[in-house]
Amino acid sequence: MRRHLFSRVGQAALVLWAAFTVAFILLQALPGDALLIKYQNPDMGLSPREIEDIRASYGADTPLFLQYVQSLGGFLTGNLGYSVQAGVPVVDQLAANVPSTLALAGLGFLAAVILAAAIAFLSSLAPFSWLRDALQALPSLFISVPVFWLGIVLIQVFSFQLKLIPVINPPEALGLVLPVATLAIPVSAPLTQVLIRSIDDVRTQPFVAVARARGGSNAWVLSHHVARNAVLPAITIAGVLLGELIGGAVVTETVFGRNGIGQLTQEAVNSQDAAVLQAVVVLAAAAFVLVNLAVDLLYPVLDPRLKRKAGALT
Amino acid sequence: MSHVTLTAAPETPGAPDTAAPETQAPDEAAVPRRPRISRLQPGLVLSWLVLGLVALWTIAPGFFTSHSATSGTARDKLLPPGDGHLLGTDELGRDLYSRIVHGSINSVTGALVAVAVGLVVGTLLGLVAGSLGGVTDAVMMRIVDVLLSIPGLLLSLSIIIILGFGTVNAAIAVGVGSVASFARLARAEVLRVRRSDFVEAAFGSGGTFVAVLRRHILPNSAGSVLALLALQFGAAILAISTLGFLGYGAPPPTPEWGLLIAEGRNYVATSWWLTTYPGLVVVAVVLSANRISHSIRKVQP
Amino acid sequence: MALPKPVRSLAAGVAALALATVLAGCSASSDAAPVDTSKPVSGGTLTYLEQQAHTNLYPPAGGFYPNGGILNQITDKLTYQDPETLKIEPWLAESWTSNPSLTEYTFKLRSGVTFSDGTPVDAAAVARNFDTYGLGNKALNQPVSEVINNYDHSEVIDSLTVKFHFKKSSPGFLQGTATIGSGIVSTSTLDRNFDDLGNAKNIIGSGPFTVASEVLGKEVVLNARADYNWGPKTAEHQGRAYLDSVKIVVTPEDSVRTGSLLAGQGDLIRQVQAYDEKQVEANGFKISAPGTRGVNDSIVFRPDNALVADVRVRQALLKATDRAEIVETIFSENYPAATSVLSKEAIGYVDLSAKLGHDPDKAKELLDDAGWKPGADGIRSKDGKKLSLTIYESLPQPQNKAVLQLVAQQWEKIGVRLNILAGDSGSKTVDSLDPEKTPVAVAMVGRADPDVIKSQFYPKNRDALLQKGGSSQKVKSFVDQKLNALLEAETSRTDPAQRLKDVADVQSHLIDQALVIPIFEEPQVFAAAPYLQGLGFEAVGRPSLYGVWLAKH
Repeated sequence: MRRHLFSRVGQAALVLWAAFTVAFILLQALPGDALLIKYQNPDMGLSPREIEDIRASYGADTPLFLQYVQSLGGFLTGNLGYSVQAGVPVVDQLAANVPSTLALAGLGFLAAVILAAAIAFLSSLAPFSWLRDALQALPSLFISVPVFWLGIVLIQVFSFQLKLIPVINPPEALGLVLPVATLAIPVSAPLTQVLIRSIDDVRTQPFVAVARARGGSNAWVLSHHVARNAVLPAITIAGVLLGELIGGAVVTETVFGRNGIGQLTQEAVNSQDAAVLQAVVVLAAAAFVLVNLAVDLLYPVLDPRLKRKAGALT
Repeated sequence: MSHVTLTAAPETPGAPDTAAPETQAPDEAAVPRRPRISRLQPGLVLSWLVLGLVALWTIAPGFFTSHSATSGTARDKLLPPGDGHLLGTDELGRDLYSRIVHGSINSVTGALVAVAVGLVVGTLLGLVAGSLGGVTDAVMMRIVDVLLSIPGLLLSLSIIIILGFGTVNAAIAVGVGSVASFARLARAEVLRVRRSDFVEAAFGSGGTFVAVLRRHILPNSAGSVLALLALQFGAAILAISTLGFLGYGAPPPTPEWGLLIAEGRNYVATSWWLTTYPGLVVVAVVLSANRISHSIRKVQP
Repeated sequence: MALPKPVRSLAAGVAALALATVLAGCSASSDAAPVDTSKPVSGGTLTYLEQQAHTNLYPPAGGFYPNGGILNQITDKLTYQDPETLKIEPWLAESWTSNPSLTEYTFKLRSGVTFSDGTPVDAAAVARNFDTYGLGNKALNQPVSEVINNYDHSEVIDSLTVKFHFKKSSPGFLQGTATIGSGIVSTSTLDRNFDDLGNAKNIIGSGPFTVASEVLGKEVVLNARADYNWGPKTAEHQGRAYLDSVKIVVTPEDSVRTGSLLAGQGDLIRQVQAYDEKQVEANGFKISAPGTRGVNDSIVFRPDNALVADVRVRQALLKATDRAEIVETIFSENYPAATSVLSKEAIGYVDLSAKLGHDPDKAKELLDDAGWKPGADGIRSKDGKKLSLTIYESLPQPQNKAVLQLVAQQWEKIGVRLNILAGDSGSKTVDSLDPEKTPVAVAMVGRADPDVIKSQFYPKNRDALLQKGGSSQKVKSFVDQKLNALLEAETSRTDPAQRLKDVADVQSHLIDQALVIPIFEEPQVFAAAPYLQGLGFEAVGRPSLYGVWLAKH
């Protein structure tokens, strides 16, 4: 078990390094760079010579490999560099944006879980078959609407027409309601599907029939057994959901004008702000690696069947 | 991309792949099951009709509309749905219905390309990893991890920037984003099938690896992959739409559903039809694709 | 329509629902109580919704509107340019003189002015500002300002007198001191590396507001300076600002920004799209559309590319462009159709509308003469090459995508294809330097001085036409000697009347040679709540919040 742990941590570090390197290569492959985009911009009105001087002062002509080593070294020592476009240290940008995204993504995830559980159970327990079918179709509906569209419509309805929730300068808690809903609705879809499948699976188990025969109500039997059976597949897709949350955050933050990592990423891509993008990649990769590591390590604990086979997995 | 991996998720039990109990109820009779095919399923029929119609739009758009999709009459701008323009006109006086019909070729091609990229590359990775196992498996799955760990949006945007703007390039970018999902699913399926009794029996009776792969593993994994395919088709349309929202869509005046929704959103308070109708078309198509995907999964052994 | 019936009825139902909800929103509001605007009221916080986050706040980078919107509140300038008359008036400088050859300017500063960190705005500080803006500071990565030409050095005469020396005549310098790019900041600000100037709190000016706090990329809060008492002498309002504070909130989505204003969640917004103007005015809100007084929103040619090297081709495209249709279809009366290279409100403007008529028949004739014959697909070709041009959409220009699509439709009618690319900034920046990839480009620049035309077209500045020896190594041979000579003459002319004549000649030359297709005069469109009073703008359309007050409502 301990060897397994060490090997997984090692692999995680390797994935992190690879993500850093892939991102570096990817950014180099893009046409132009942050300095060119910023200083060649007509708004700056600079002559070609002035632009050359600036490039030289930033060391833009250093050989690539050296830049890579410097950048990697910087990351290892905690120096993330400067954002060329925004004119602030990348660390400051992260500090300003990470908490906001964490709040949005965390609450979004929580809301998605609750929504998914509610729909899944209702769709199994609802009295009419047409109602069950309709509820089961909800996840499909949720993912057939673009997130940005959902956000804009929610704002139009709840903020501008019903005037329930302001978008501008809202009280912190209230202001999170619409963005969290926007993010949670699409993310809840795969979770709902997992839960519905788990419920179906549990229903086919012999012990359900037994429990029912002993007089357990439908709802009691389901809630009693499903939770345990659904938690594993739900945890398994956590890594994928993380990606969803990040992707959804970009759009949600743009629509609602919230600051956050998503909005930061999008702007950094537009201006090819390499230092910012490297930092975002490493941050996202670290989150992904950690979640997966946690899932892997939790798995045998949660599922006794797997304990024996743990070595064979991954 | 935000939508790509979304629906793939429940089908992708990821690394520890024995999550779904394999104990397919030995005494099924104990639980009454809903009849499968015996009941006519209007929803399913409708789904096929929707996709059929879209296929016809793609093949012969000129048969469904006589208006041009790319040029309009400037003074007829922003007309609400009504006579002459079934679904109204856009800010340059172009017929919206016509743009939707003509846009289907771009949207469908885009979605198909995206799915194909994800399917071919992803399935190949997953098949090889799952079949060979051992070090190959570990290395390939870590590569998939790297792919998953870089934010999908960043990956998609970078690919579009490198390849240039356009429907097909956006589709490739979306496809690359879904490679990881397909790879994980394919690997999980291969492992599931491999461990099943009949495959072990096939190996036991002296079948070569390739023969077993072709005869047993592939056909038995196909169902899930097919179901994912239908799901990803819808997801890809939305992903391309989101790219359009972020300013990375196909160049104008190309009509494309996602782009129509994205560009029409600016008029949501003044000309609601511009974003609503293309949105409804996408909802109908994605719902249909999901419904069909669901039915494939049910029929599969 | 060919939809199956159930789908159709479903679609109709959902659409009707959507329609009902959305339309319900439009009819709401507009029940505002009468507003008492008789006497200015002090106090209150203004919520100002910006489309984009600010970037680097080094004053010469103030051309970017979100930057200018902040800098104009927190910095003062040596001189004030009246936005109506465009006359240069005293501000931080009480008076000034220059020698006849315009190579020396001497400014006498107002006394008692301080930066918000308490240090005095004296000759040494002002000298340091212009040394930096005029020459740049390589050690700190600070670039040169676009508005200062031929700068040599400064000289501190006494604590309140400073003299600037130029290598050549610099007639545009006086106006340059009034621009957003010449905001005076403390020496401690200029001691910082350029990379640190994106943090608004690091910018110390002497303006009526100071930066109180900032959430990067989301909002900036400005507080009024209680001791501020050095606004331009001619300003209606004196003393400290009426407002207590200003909250600038970044709201990128157009529909959200406009909707928030109408729903009472904001007081002032920048960038109202033309299609939303009606909705805004119908609700009793006020639209302000100050012009930007420079080179109009235009399409410029890169004649180094063989496709547009022939003046007849360029003239044909100039005549094929129907600016009236563009303005009527896409814009409102706040966006006048262009009548010259420069805007009507610009200094040195000459009316060239006679040369800008829409004449597709003449255009076809010109293309026929030039040897471009229509092919099977309707697109003209010559020697096996198609007359197909590529242009990049320009994001900062209002509704540029729609404008270019209409232009493409108009050009299509005479057999010319215009491909519109919506590229990323990297590809766009690189390709825009290559005339082979971008034979045409979108251009616009605002500044209330004749130098603006030089800024736009001179090879050593923005080099809009891409000349050899200019900004791009990719240019093979194109040079317009006549244009360059005129521009050089203009920037170093000491006689103002002669300078205006040069500017007129430049405009005529650009149109006669069909190097530029002017389209419309670009305003900055703001919308304000009915109770917001006293909103002012500097000469190029950046808001001034100094005199703003919020009436009881």
